Amino acid sequence: MPPRGQPPPASGPGGPRPAVLLLAPLLLLALQGVAAAPAGAGGTEDSPGLQDAELQRGLLQQAARAALHFFNFRAGSPSALRVLAAVLEGRATVNPKKECQVDLVFTTDHYNREPFCLIPKSLFQDGEERLGKCSARVFFRNQKPRPAVNVTCTRLIEKNKRQQEDYLLYTHMKQLKTPLDVVSIPDSHGHIDPSLRPIWDLAFLGSSYVMWEKTTQFLHYYMAQISSVNQWKTNDDAVDFDYTVLLHEFSTQEIIPCRIHLVWYPGKPLKVKYHCQELQTPEEASGTEEGSAVAPTELNNF
Amino acid sequence: MKPLLGTLYLLGILVPEGLGYDGSLAQPRREVVEETVNPWKSLDTYSYTKYHPMEEIYQWMIQISEKYTGVVTQHFLGMTYEIRPMYYLKISQPSNNPKKIIWMDCGIHAREWIAPAFCQWFVKEILQNYKDNPRIGRFLRNLDFYVLPVLNIDGYIYTWTTDRLWRKSRSSHNNGTCFGTDLNRNFNVAWCSIGASKDCHDLTFCGTGPASEPETKAVSSFVESKKESIVCFLTMHSYGQLILTPYGYTKNKSSNHEELIQVGQKAANALKKKHGTNFRVGSSADILYTTSGASRDWARDIGIPFSYTFELRDNGTYGFVLPAAQIQATCEETMEAVLSVLDDVYEKYWDSDGAGKVTPTAVVLGLLVSFMSVL
Repeated sequence: MPPRGQPPPASGPGGPRPAVLLLAPLLLLALQGVAAAPAGAGGTEDSPGLQDAELQRGLLQQAARAALHFFNFRAGSPSALRVLAAVLEGRATVNPKKECQVDLVFTTDHYNREPFCLIPKSLFQDGEERLGKCSARVFFRNQKPRPAVNVTCTRLIEKNKRQQEDYLLYTHMKQLKTPLDVVSIPDSHGHIDPSLRPIWDLAFLGSSYVMWEKTTQFLHYYMAQISSVNQWKTNDDAVDFDYTVLLHEFSTQEIIPCRIHLVWYPGKPLKVKYHCQELQTPEEASGTEEGSAVAPTELNNF
Repeated sequence: MKPLLGTLYLLGILVPEGLGYDGSLAQPRREVVEETVNPWKSLDTYSYTKYHPMEEIYQWMIQISEKYTGVVTQHFLGMTYEIRPMYYLKISQPSNNPKKIIWMDCGIHAREWIAPAFCQWFVKEILQNYKDNPRIGRFLRNLDFYVLPVLNIDGYIYTWTTDRLWRKSRSSHNNGTCFGTDLNRNFNVAWCSIGASKDCHDLTFCGTGPASEPETKAVSSFVESKKESIVCFLTMHSYGQLILTPYGYTKNKSSNHEELIQVGQKAANALKKKHGTNFRVGSSADILYTTSGASRDWARDIGIPFSYTFELRDNGTYGFVLPAAQIQATCEETMEAVLSVLDDVYEKYWDSDGAGKVTPTAVVLGLLVSFMSVL
């Protein structure tokens, strides 16, 4: 392996001794030569194709996240929340205005599955059976929020079962003693008391609306923690839930507190209002943003 | 040595309190509820499936070096911003042959609690198994392990006392209006050129200069001093389920990129076999985001060949606040990945019987001899 020409590194704290100075470049060349990978590696220029592939992959991931948040919100079902499993295929096109249209197909998994599931995923032979499948079109408006989403998914849980689970969650919620004696969910050790699990799921549902609106080509969010439950009411048959959630934005690593107020009743569209504490940036203004659910359209089944 | 360590340890606890080194002027501070240190707590009852506050980790390090005296020593690395001692554990079986070094650090970002948990698990696994397990035993014939269980001690303590999602160190900036530097943007490699912020309010604040922070200085001066011997630099983070190779500051690849990917992919496969968890492998700029001043990139650029960032569980469901119930599974699978990397590193430099292979050093010596003979 012929040694590659590389600039020598900066000298260490002690400084190289005179005799070694002559040998340092030679030493380094030898080191590089032996450690080097097959020819072609080391300081290669990017092939435009490779860059595009990575860009595509990133955009598809972003689109899948936005689509899934939107889907979860519109489904309005805390017992049927989904997470992204994998992007199967897709194509992203960027127009001169730097707006981005993405068409994609992706698979989903249950959100509510126990983290330490006893059945290893590798045992599922027929992958499609336990995963849902979605196709979506997502339109990002050059770093502006509220990507337009059109998404349809195969049924993951049978409709009756889903309604049953929702209603079960709802009855649990009604039984919770108010005022709720909680500081944060989960606690610092990641523990969520089973009796409080419905609160986490409902909070995630509300946060899905917020995370959908805030996702752009470059920004994506996860729900890190519920930092406070401000109000929890279950009179008038609906759950009236006012809470503060901490969202984690991945590319900036920032934690964004959002105050969310939602009203939920099983089977009815979710009503959400929110206000996030934004970092002051030139493009954004802080302020209250409101959103409420529109009448749900039928979710098509494949 | 031990009384000195004990004094330094106490100093580390008392001095910040005494000087009122709270730092969080802006927000009201929650009651400091730190568990009382019980000096007689036995190592036998230490739980590796729980998260431990810093006081307990300090104590654990002392107990580990006491229990495994022939093989483990605790060493002082430097002081943090809030004047707390940084210690690493050196695991080394005494022998006549010169050793190569494996470096592992955890907790450079305060909120990534699963990382320090893994460092402790790793140490425990090596020490409990090196005598009976030939795979681990052979490593110690030619390798020394240097493990830094918590790099960002001030930040880690802050996540226990005040803000569970704190990321940076606790250095004070702008006349006490901002706190913390992102230590993984503070290393002297393409410093603050991309993927980092010059604004002290931001979570990727790169500091006031390359290696401006005492924690960064402590790690980099030590690692630099040992760089000829270090073959592997592993820095543990969460979350994202990734094995990252250099670089973050450029899409260009390191000279041994193919090899790093191959070794990384083998490690991800080994990890997946354990509990089915999927890890992706790639350069930081390719599969994560651009960063400058990252320790992994710095380590690679000073010549350490195998340099990786591990982003442990999960994928965002719990994120930084990974349930303690998942510590065991996460540590078990990560252990498989790290052992796989160590296998590859070991086999690259030594035969299965421990005899040295052609190494960069050997080639260099050969060249030196021939060069000298020409003069």
